[in-house]
Amino acid sequence: MTDTAIAASALGKRFGRRGGWALRDCTFRLPAGRVCAVVGPNGAGKSTLLALAAGLLGATEGELTVLGTTPAQARTRIGYVAQDKPLYPQLTVAETLQMGADLNPERWDAAAAERIVAAGDLNPKSRVRALSGGQRTRVALALALGKRPGLLLLDEPMADLDPLARHELMGVLMVQAAQHGTTIAMSSHVVAELEDSCDHLLLIGGGRVRLAGEIDDLLAAHTRVSADADADLAAHTVVESRTTGRQLSALIRPAGPLPDDWRTDTPSLEELVLGHLRNPGAPALAPAEEAVA
Amino acid sequence: MVEYRIDRRSGVATYVQIVQQTKQALRLGHLRPGDRLPTAREVVEATAINPNTVLKAYRELEREGLVEARRGLGTFVKRALGAAPTAESPLHGELEDWAARAHAAGLDREDVAALFTAVLEKHFQGESS
Amino acid sequence: MTALSAPAPAPAPAATARPHLTRWVLRLHRPALYVWTALVLLSTVLLLLLHGPFADAAAEGWRRFDSCGFNTVCRYDQSAILRYKDWYNYATLAVAAVPFLTAAWAGGALFGKELESGTAQLSWAQSSTPVRWLSVRLATAAVLVTAGTGLLAWLHHLAWAAGRGRIDSAKDWYDMGTFLTGGPTLGALSLAGLAAGALAGLLWRRTLPALAFGTLLTGVIGGTAQLLLPHLWPTLGRSGHGYPTSPAGSWTVSQGGNTALYHVTYHPYSHYWPLQLTATALLLTVTAVLTLACFVVLRRLTGRAAAR
Repeated sequence: MTDTAIAASALGKRFGRRGGWALRDCTFRLPAGRVCAVVGPNGAGKSTLLALAAGLLGATEGELTVLGTTPAQARTRIGYVAQDKPLYPQLTVAETLQMGADLNPERWDAAAAERIVAAGDLNPKSRVRALSGGQRTRVALALALGKRPGLLLLDEPMADLDPLARHELMGVLMVQAAQHGTTIAMSSHVVAELEDSCDHLLLIGGGRVRLAGEIDDLLAAHTRVSADADADLAAHTVVESRTTGRQLSALIRPAGPLPDDWRTDTPSLEELVLGHLRNPGAPALAPAEEAVA
Repeated sequence: MVEYRIDRRSGVATYVQIVQQTKQALRLGHLRPGDRLPTAREVVEATAINPNTVLKAYRELEREGLVEARRGLGTFVKRALGAAPTAESPLHGELEDWAARAHAAGLDREDVAALFTAVLEKHFQGESS
Repeated sequence: MTALSAPAPAPAPAATARPHLTRWVLRLHRPALYVWTALVLLSTVLLLLLHGPFADAAAEGWRRFDSCGFNTVCRYDQSAILRYKDWYNYATLAVAAVPFLTAAWAGGALFGKELESGTAQLSWAQSSTPVRWLSVRLATAAVLVTAGTGLLAWLHHLAWAAGRGRIDSAKDWYDMGTFLTGGPTLGALSLAGLAAGALAGLLWRRTLPALAFGTLLTGVIGGTAQLLLPHLWPTLGRSGHGYPTSPAGSWTVSQGGNTALYHVTYHPYSHYWPLQLTATALLLTVTAVLTLACFVVLRRLTGRAAAR
């Protein structure tokens, strides 16, 4: 038993010998039992990170530990759903679950998988090729959850879903986390989509970790301030600052108490994320010392 | 049983919304001592919020002495809140009559709310909700 | 807190539980299995007909024709002769197509499409490794291809042998179609096609290019084997004045020189099996190299750790 679901240290992945780095110098730690939002713009390296953690890609450099071992050795305990939810179109829903049972004989929970499918009002005899986007996602999730994963990796799970299906499936995931303590890492380029469901954040931009940690801690570490234009921010870590007329507004990580005449406010998660993405030069906040598992 | 409704745009932290709605249910008598709060599983299935958020709200309610967690059984209401002006209480009836009269007098919802808030401010000064 | 802090205990792992991969390879590629079965059955029926009634009727036709001598009026069953010849050619064509069909299917459906649509990654995300995914697919296909081509080559050899010496228009043993389809070379080239298709699928990871490249590579392998074939076993030779010729029924490999010194090299029919077996060995070596290349490419795709 380990209390760390994923630990990455100086992790990097390059496609091809001369290709660019999809991911570089990533160091973070995801504690077990968290629901982690992997957020970043398109092409930031989110899919690469999830595929590395799922053991579908090999890292070019650095260390990656998943559930206390290598991704390959943790394979039986990892559930993974790729962005386009690949399934065999020629199989029926029931056959797809049967395949899950046959390919994961050590851990398969048939009842759990069938429950997820049944809750979606799906006919087990329907062919996968005839399913809608939401139904397909549901079957892909059933296949991943039937494995009773200790770690569930979901790449853009809610993209292309209508709001109702999105809410329902997020409910399914939250039940999984509540009942089994499953660690979930799911990516999205829309922060708002994940805000209520996640308690941990991994913000990736340009192939690097920009923010990593508990969402509450990250929010508490930042302050939105408004002050006179001549206010001195030098003592603090400045993520973003803007001066309009005589007014200065900034997003900072305070290094100590702030002057009383500054108006302060807690930023929203979205403000925090956008602030960091707008300013690639802003120092990252990823408690590196914690990453040493 | 209480059902939580999470309003994402309210600007109020999600766990605070659960605490407030639980207290509201306690005040209105929808929840009484001995009643079980919904499990984290039930809440997250319906609301799709993070289970830790629910547990955080329940810990807050426990800290205030309103509920208690019994291991393996769930979280139960320990005591009611306020004077329990339930639907049967005379106060509830009087307020109903008053609202009906206000309506008949041509006041709209916002007028009534403003009036009510003003009276609240006057009589419950210094008390936070 | 109880709901969160106590993760469900993992069910006791069944020590003997192994993923049933083969069953699902067969299920997922059921249409191909049906087509392969139908192809083998139809060819079997045709080859049995050629071996029995068609060859007998054609031989009888030739016997009558030959006994006519130079009589102007000769009664013989010409249609029986043509029927054996035509259907023999069709059967040869059908059987000779097997290596290329195998390559196209392996490159397109078995690997290219799975990697293109992401279902390969879906398989890797289950409880067995990418290496096992590749091994099981290759092994299952190899068993079916070997069994089918073994049967077809044996029957084709019988159908050809039934005409040998009896039917004047029967193909020579060194006719390339006949040679390829009448022995283990067929199975070996088909296995090379399977490996070539697999490699194409893993390299291109898209259906159509993999299908085309796999087939093309098999064509190159087959063509090269055909060029090398005469040199796979030492030839016999004759030389001298005049124009010595190779003995009847032997395969002339080279001839040349001048009237003073003329030479001819050839393979007698007794070289048939040595040539079949060395060609088979050569093609199986190529298959092994291609298969190794498949695993190297897979390892590059999924990383060292992932393939373990």
